[in-house]
Amino acid sequence: MMEVTYLGVIIKAILILAIISAIAGFGTYIERKVLAFMQRRLGPMNVGPYGLLQIAADGIKLFTKEDFIPQNANKLIFMVAPIITAATAFIALSAVPVFPDFTIFGIFVPSIAADVNIGILFVLGMMAAGLYGPLLAGMSQANKWGLIGAARTAAQFISYEVVTGLSLLAPIMMVGSLSLIDFNHYNETHPWMVFMQPLAFVLFLIAGFAETNRTPFDLLENEAEIIAGYATEYSGMRWGMFFIGEYANMITVAVLASIIFLGGYTDLWFIPGWLAIILKIAFMFFLMLWVRASWPHVRPDQFMWLAWKVLMPLAVINVVITGIVIMV
Amino acid sequence: MITFAFYLFAVLITGLFLVTVMSKNVLYAMTSLAAGMVLISGLFFILGADFLGVVQLIVYVGAVMAVYAFAMMFFDLSRDVEERHDKPWLIFLLGGGIALTLVVMFAAPIMGEAVHALYPPVAGATNPQAVGLVLFTKYLLPFEVASVMLLVAMIAGIILAGKKMEISLSAMDEDILPDTKENA
Amino acid sequence: MSLEQFKNRNVGTQNYRMLDLDPTPVTGWDKFKQVVRRSLSLELLVGLKVTLREMIKALFFGKMHTTKYPFEKLPIGPRYRAIHEMKRLLESGHYRCIGCGLCEKICPADAIRMDTHYGENQRKEVSEYTINFGRCIFCGYCAEVCPELAIVHGGRYETASEQRASFSLFEDMLTPIDQLKNQKEFPGYGSVSVQADKNIKKTPLAY
Ligand code: SF4
Ligand code: SF4
Repeated sequence: MMEVTYLGVIIKAILILAIISAIAGFGTYIERKVLAFMQRRLGPMNVGPYGLLQIAADGIKLFTKEDFIPQNANKLIFMVAPIITAATAFIALSAVPVFPDFTIFGIFVPSIAADVNIGILFVLGMMAAGLYGPLLAGMSQANKWGLIGAARTAAQFISYEVVTGLSLLAPIMMVGSLSLIDFNHYNETHPWMVFMQPLAFVLFLIAGFAETNRTPFDLLENEAEIIAGYATEYSGMRWGMFFIGEYANMITVAVLASIIFLGGYTDLWFIPGWLAIILKIAFMFFLMLWVRASWPHVRPDQFMWLAWKVLMPLAVINVVITGIVIMV
Repeated sequence: MITFAFYLFAVLITGLFLVTVMSKNVLYAMTSLAAGMVLISGLFFILGADFLGVVQLIVYVGAVMAVYAFAMMFFDLSRDVEERHDKPWLIFLLGGGIALTLVVMFAAPIMGEAVHALYPPVAGATNPQAVGLVLFTKYLLPFEVASVMLLVAMIAGIILAGKKMEISLSAMDEDILPDTKENA
Repeated sequence: MSLEQFKNRNVGTQNYRMLDLDPTPVTGWDKFKQVVRRSLSLELLVGLKVTLREMIKALFFGKMHTTKYPFEKLPIGPRYRAIHEMKRLLESGHYRCIGCGLCEKICPADAIRMDTHYGENQRKEVSEYTINFGRCIFCGYCAEVCPELAIVHGGRYETASEQRASFSLFEDMLTPIDQLKNQKEFPGYGSVSVQADKNIKKTPLAY
């Protein structure tokens, strides 16, 4: 193992920041394209070849749009809220190992920017803290739709957080570590976690969809019911920050799922590790879009019912069974 | 470096909690509370107790979120809260007294020389393992008692909240509604 | 028709098919059974399958539905009722409008404005004729009332322009003289009747 230098960590951090914000922007393009294809449309086509520069056009639009603050809003908190979402999303990513270790110009770049040995908990905690963005945004904007969005944020958060934690507990018990790197190494010697813990995988996916506020559970900003929920009064770059945060979170969940359940960045047959993880992340991302194109929303009460009465008992049973199997 | 970080965190945390107490605006009070709780986890990180830090983060993020839910129900967020001060000196006395007691309680052992770790860190154990070792040996009984208490509280909460749970007002026809109101 | 019949009249023939839905579960146990059945029979995956199938069809089998609008246009009906056209007489090429003013009178949106004068040969001529397309509701009354079939609706539906007056002047709507041979008439309500030639009689000189 080579020595981890400050320079290496900084390179990694810059890499993550650059790649992820680029991907987050690119994700909006992919999302539109995939949704369009699934409805047999073309999606963005006119800006640049195949509409690729649509991202740039959107960026320019978001940057130059008026940054509007409603009259009765709590200005400070209204302005801070989107930053919370975006910042926590990136901080969470700092503890996620994306690529294998590699050396560039003789500088050792570790696979992870901040190797806290409790990686999973840190990522989950940070993503949970990210929920303060929508909550504060909704509460500060003096708008009833925003307030409903904030109320739903609180309710949804409390419901799915339990499931996320419990669903990950069984894999954690099997690996015996909270470090994501250990998870990856575990996958090198064992079959993929998804085959040993299929239930935990499904539960984690469901909770992940709720965590990233994706379609079956996008109660916070459900256009059909509450205009745009917590983002009703936002415009311009502040609105954009919410969405960069959302896409960064989607990537985080995709990375977590691929590392914990799908074998991480270990080499797969002839596919090198870095390509394997990119393919896995891409598939998880695609799955989120796919689900969005296929399934309707659930109502908030259905979501609570699902989280508390179905998923949580299942997760607990899964944990207990895993415990018994490990003991025996 | 670490000293600097400690004082930075200490000042920030104290400042944020002061805002929590002093501010008349619910939103400011709650937000500074949440931010303070998050920063406290920074202190744990400085001490090398990563696990406790993250637990602090997760637990208090969720807990304060619940407080937000209550604030949303009880207060008009766009307005300042008018407080009633009947006997300011009494509040001052009680609050100050409790604070002083707490400070003395926690500072006394540090002042004295008799501080030594009863459970020195187990060599080679990582953070969560160390916590687990202590939790399930020395502190097993308090741990179990606490969990039973939480269970009791949970069941009590469900019973209190779930009295009329099988009747869903929103799913009812309007002409049946007055009936149930009379029964209630 | 009595009110009963009026309410129950069958508008067109629709082939409604009732979905065979499961009965709505009432008790908690029924609900639970329904959830288990639906989750285990993987109904959700059927939804995923449908969208994926559509995507594959669209991408690889040329089933894309998009019309790239400004570059491609869908065909419209020949009697589409968009921006008006003023027709010419086929023989002489003179515009058909006789300046009777009926269209101006009937227009419910008060969109037509016209002015006439007597020409050299004592024939009424149109000196000014505009339709304000900011007001026109495309009701078609003007075309219907016109005794000369001079004003009809055309197929020009792209009505965005920089100037409100851009295409509302008489000359803009008038069939260009070199396009006269392409000028179309359509049969049907409001057009010249099929036996028009047969119905022509000599004006009795006794008047
Ligand atoms: S279509 Fe109707 S509204 Fe338009 S000019 Fe003719 S009569 Fe007026
Ligand atoms: S009704 Fe026909 S003939 Fe009469 S003024 Fe209008 S366009 Fe001309």
